Amino acid sequence: MTIILDPSASLAHDITDPGPDAGSLAGKKIAIRIDMLWRSWDWVSDIWAQGLRAEGADVAFWRSCGRTGQEGVEADRDYAALLAKSDMAIVGLGNCGSCTSWTIADALTAAATGIPTIAVATAHFEGLAHNLAKRGGRSGLRLHILPYPLDILPKEQVHDIARDHYRPFLRGFGVRSRLAEQSAA
Amino acid sequence: MAQGWGDGLPLIPPTPDRVQDFLIAGGRFPDELIAPLPPLRAECTVEKIAINAVMAGCTGDAMPLLCAAIEAMADPMFDLAGLNATTGSVVPALIVNGPIRNRLDIPYQAGCLGGVAGPAVAIGRAIRLIMRNVAGQVIGATSQSVYGTPGRVAGIVFAEWEERSPWAPLAERRGVLGDAVTAYGAMGTANICDVVANEADGFLDMIAKSMAYPGANGFLPSSAFSEALCVINPIWAEVIGRAYPDITDVQAYLWDKCALSIDSFRPEYRDPIGNLGRIKPDGRVHLVPKPEDMLVMVGGGEGGLHAAMLHSWGTCLTVTRPVVAA
Repeated sequence: MTIILDPSASLAHDITDPGPDAGSLAGKKIAIRIDMLWRSWDWVSDIWAQGLRAEGADVAFWRSCGRTGQEGVEADRDYAALLAKSDMAIVGLGNCGSCTSWTIADALTAAATGIPTIAVATAHFEGLAHNLAKRGGRSGLRLHILPYPLDILPKEQVHDIARDHYRPFLRGFGVRSRLAEQSAA
Repeated sequence: MAQGWGDGLPLIPPTPDRVQDFLIAGGRFPDELIAPLPPLRAECTVEKIAINAVMAGCTGDAMPLLCAAIEAMADPMFDLAGLNATTGSVVPALIVNGPIRNRLDIPYQAGCLGGVAGPAVAIGRAIRLIMRNVAGQVIGATSQSVYGTPGRVAGIVFAEWEERSPWAPLAERRGVLGDAVTAYGAMGTANICDVVANEADGFLDMIAKSMAYPGANGFLPSSAFSEALCVINPIWAEVIGRAYPDITDVQAYLWDKCALSIDSFRPEYRDPIGNLGRIKPDGRVHLVPKPEDMLVMVGGGEGGLHAAMLHSWGTCLTVTRPVVAA
């Protein structure tokens, strides 16, 4: 019998727990991570931010730009500073290969700080997002899925999708609010 | 193959004896960590490199180059996490400088970008197997590449024809003397042909204008920065070198001409590009932000007539590392 060595590698650990629920929104500081790529995510997160603010939350947006070189070093520092003063994080958008990679990486960074965290991706990239979360050692990462394709839709239609998804998003995030609980009933 | 360890081509069984020979040739401890590799973020050790190198058909003397290449690709500047997941068709190209080019028989003359029989094919394939087996880059599971590229089978591994270059070697210009490997995120290779030009500016104009196509990643309204690489054949290089003995002048020339008018973009592209501060006062948008982002090297056959352009992907930044002999 010929013995052959294993060429592959794997991570030894995996966190299957989704982390803490978002809970009550009133008075909470919420970081929303947006990017340079997807106008549709700007539109969705704008709508969601309106809802979150109506529940008494304080919402801060952070836009991910270049993530390599000096610009990347500064981006990582800024993002860490934002997370340090945030009570929860919403991270998107996974709507291509590399941007899903960065979305999940940033979500894992947020989740590692212990704050409630949810990543957002579109349906075509759901599998990738789950894979990356698992391979990043946190298969339990919360994930909300928006329809695909999204970015080619007109603004009004994306706004409608954002409104339709707001309550399911709150539930997936473990938000305790009248709106979320009503819709769950 | 049933384990998902292969690429569809026959593999050499990585028996303990074979792997041991590679480890000895590499001169490093088998459990030495080279880097965690995304998307799996699992640890790539010297032993994992050796196992995959055996499977790919490498020879043991390639181990120092393979280790240096993985170190370069794992540098955060290279954004391997994004590169291995992207919808783009990018593959890390490895450019070799220094005497190791000849020791390992890395091609830099005719056919250097593909087709030359020699060890470079197995070296490139080893890198690809490491991406698959250690980094976990698998089409459909983690990689979302819409098309992929032939370079994802056996890589793109070539060297610079330093002896025919009027300028210092690429790696030396990037701060690494002697044996070195440069990892470059290549969106494939494309050809530039010119049968008319007979002086430096003519060659450079053709190269620059050919590289400035609007679908290049460097022109994306989301790309704050990028790089580009052109490989100039030794015949053209000699002519260009006489006119521009300083390589920074060549880069500046290419940078200047490798641009598109903002008016050539449809209206909906203009604001996003402008928001990145990329529209110059003369109304042009350059493929790369600065002349030094235009990488230039010499290679290819003496038939001349052609240059090669390799556009970069995303904000992946080129990384050069020394190749340390065992």
